[in-house]
Amino acid sequence: MGSGTQSACYVYGVVPADTTTPEGLTGLGDPPAPVTLLPEGGIAAVVSEIPADGPLGNAHDLRSHAHVLDTLAATGTPVLPFRFGAVLADAQAVGTDLLTPAEEKFRGALEELDGWVQFTVRGSYSEERLLRDVLAARPDIADLREATRGMPEEAERHQLIRLGEMVADAVAAARSQDSQELVERLGPHAGASRRAESTTGDEAVHTSFLVRIDERLGFEQAAEELALRWADRIRLRLLGPLAPYDFAVAAVQDGGAGDEAA
Amino acid sequence: MTVASQRSHYLDRPQSSGLVDVIDLILDKGLVIDVYVRVSLVGIELLTIDARIVVASVDTYLRFAEAVNRLDLAQTGNSEGLPELVQGLGEKGAKSKTKGALEGAQETVKQVFGRHGDEDEEEEEEERPRRRSRTASARRERER
Repeated sequence: MGSGTQSACYVYGVVPADTTTPEGLTGLGDPPAPVTLLPEGGIAAVVSEIPADGPLGNAHDLRSHAHVLDTLAATGTPVLPFRFGAVLADAQAVGTDLLTPAEEKFRGALEELDGWVQFTVRGSYSEERLLRDVLAARPDIADLREATRGMPEEAERHQLIRLGEMVADAVAAARSQDSQELVERLGPHAGASRRAESTTGDEAVHTSFLVRIDERLGFEQAAEELALRWADRIRLRLLGPLAPYDFAVAAVQDGGAGDEAA
Repeated sequence: MTVASQRSHYLDRPQSSGLVDVIDLILDKGLVIDVYVRVSLVGIELLTIDARIVVASVDTYLRFAEAVNRLDLAQTGNSEGLPELVQGLGEKGAKSKTKGALEGAQETVKQVFGRHGDEDEEEEEEERPRRRSRTASARRERER
């Protein structure tokens, strides 16, 4: 990394020191800067150089951050992803301020995650089908709908709000049920799962799974089967293999707690 | 997500992440560097706004009501799902279609990020620094 005042060090994540970065891997910036490793003890920071005075966070930056981490994860190396936006002054700061103080925790977490990748399953409802299901299952909602249909919005605003609220609640219940089924069917192929906290919009399910690399095919097969089973209600999509975005924090904390307890 | 894999007719396996997916993965997950380092963090201005500002509940409810009420007007309507919208995100100036009640959240995302398309056109105003925006070097313009 250059030591000029014009550049800073963008940190994507942490990997074992013996990791080989895929050739030609580039990161943030225009033109994209090469991604390199800064080793310190048994671990290494995944970094690239960025201008020190430019704002960060356009679509290209966001995609690049994820691309670097997911590319590494796909090679089978364990990687601890950092949240977007970690920038240190220079390579030396990465070593002394970031890696050295937390080396034990990072190494413990990398060992814990070695051999695992994340898959994230997201599904969106067919809106029409979902609403029809709600009306069929809930006569009270269907009745209120009949009562409010064709009413001018101004006149029956509170009735409409009530109707919408009931539908929203019914949709939330459907989400819970579908999310539960998702975990029941895919969970056996994963070591851990984590449901996204807020599921909104047309999203039916949104859960991340930590999957052993050598059990990946079984997991993917289960996802395929569920997608087929849900085909007329939910459009399912599978993201991955990904860096363990949803599981890294816990792994680091586990490592830290273990150290302290021991 | 660059690994090619077999596609089934029913399961979407995007070759590269949509922007909504990326945002959800990297903006509020992963390790937060502040926890481990307090000294030399560089205060580069982050443009990333909380992308999941969900519209007010009443608004949502009203649109649910509207959607449920116009159901049989579109017997075979094909509702536009998230994937299409996600693709729209990357397109510069994608015009928002406020058609589906269930698409509210994505619309919000689109409003926030639509202007930062893949082409990286110059940032416009409305970039609110979300955090760590304390910086003397905060520039509104990015040098190319």
